[in-house]
Amino acid sequence: MAAPFTRVYRPLWRIITTTTLNKGVRNVSSTRQQWSAQNVKTAGVASPWALHGAVCLQRLPVVSQDRSPIEDEFMELMHQMELERSLLSDHELRLLEDAARMSRKQEEESDEEEEDYRDKDIFTAQDLEDIWEQKLKQYQPAQRSQGVDEKGVSSSERCLAESLILLVKKDVGSQKLWLLPQIQWQTGETLRQTAERALASLPVGADLKATFLGNAPCGFYKYKYPKDIQKEGSVGAKVFFFKALLSGHKHLPLEKNSFAWVKKDELQDFLKPEYLKQVRRFIMAL
Amino acid sequence: MNTLLTKVLLLQNTRALLCAASSLQSQVLTTQMPLGVLLTNRQYRSMPTHGIGKYRHLLPKALPKKKKDRVQAKQIKAATATEFGVFNVCVSGYDMTLVEHYSQYIHNLCNHLDIKVDESCALPTKSTEVMVMQEQGTKMYVDAVLKTHERIVQISEMKATLFPIFMEVVLKNQPEGVRLCVKQHTEADYQARFKTRPELEGLLAKIHN
Repeated sequence: MAAPFTRVYRPLWRIITTTTLNKGVRNVSSTRQQWSAQNVKTAGVASPWALHGAVCLQRLPVVSQDRSPIEDEFMELMHQMELERSLLSDHELRLLEDAARMSRKQEEESDEEEEDYRDKDIFTAQDLEDIWEQKLKQYQPAQRSQGVDEKGVSSSERCLAESLILLVKKDVGSQKLWLLPQIQWQTGETLRQTAERALASLPVGADLKATFLGNAPCGFYKYKYPKDIQKEGSVGAKVFFFKALLSGHKHLPLEKNSFAWVKKDELQDFLKPEYLKQVRRFIMAL
Repeated sequence: MNTLLTKVLLLQNTRALLCAASSLQSQVLTTQMPLGVLLTNRQYRSMPTHGIGKYRHLLPKALPKKKKDRVQAKQIKAATATEFGVFNVCVSGYDMTLVEHYSQYIHNLCNHLDIKVDESCALPTKSTEVMVMQEQGTKMYVDAVLKTHERIVQISEMKATLFPIFMEVVLKNQPEGVRLCVKQHTEADYQARFKTRPELEGLLAKIHN
């Protein structure tokens, strides 16, 4: 069966906003404006391939990556150069003036009293600076890594500097395989809705809110059923992948054996080679 | 002047001679006399070197310099089924270097992917004063002034199939401390960039009243 064609999709308008970093996951929220799906047209020819929609759910990186040694050195050098080339700011000028005034006052005791009365501030610039330093010491920045075990793949808060992909372990035929969450397509829905259903159909422990970015699939994989299952009408299955970004908080770690959040280079430990080859094509490692 | 007169006389003489000798077909016609002294230095059109040294026709056409027209409001294109219309990618934050570099990054990315960028501009900086209440007392004093900088990259006619890829790249490279917002472009957004003219508005109000 061919996939249905919606002629005019919902006009692709969203307002996509990212709010400031909340713990663990960046909030990607999108509000859709209008939706009109018209003219769902199905072709009448039945094809021997079953259709599945799968979702590639990604958690975006939360902090920036660490700098390499060369980048560090370069940054230091640029800082130094910029400091040397820059002009003094107001605060620094005030500091210098105050210092000069103090030294003059100590040398010549009597003459400077008028000046002092005229521009006597409550705080000198140096005092202000000390107050600011005190406040800075009280400030605690958040940790760059949440202290989660980096090797354990079940938490979505590992490796905050990179993007992670969700994998599930599923029974396919007789074996258990690691796959991207997928589900069979039903007549009357678009493939994207199939992908959304695939996400929603994951077990309840995973409260995953995701934003799908577009109506077009990003990847494709087809496989044939083993010979004993192949019948007249079904040769194999075609899987269409859709990309989605994790948008809600999710603190609960999922079951270790059925869910995994992995980086791109760890994918080869989990996926079959053929599947991996197709999946790798559309996953960007930053 | 004298030399000129003498040359003229000479010329006339030679001319007279020529006229006289034309019937005789004398060799005066092939004289080496520089006949071109008074005449301009034009080559004859059949000479191969005719027009040698001309360059004005090679320069680009310099249009007459016109005064700067008032900025016209561009038509906002509507979205079709496969392409987006006009939308704004707004980058805002407190740290100006980060905000500017990120907006430049987005612009360069669009250039690289052949996405049409209509405009890349800045909105006015907004200052926020953080006031702290004094511990013993009711007076608030200014603790800090935070400036929010905002940059806009306006994109038009982007293909819908390219949009998810573009968004993913942009989101993955978003730095900390910078807020990203992708919005549809409206007339109101365009008008918000102009300064208000209080006298004009006052006069208009008077007319209507």
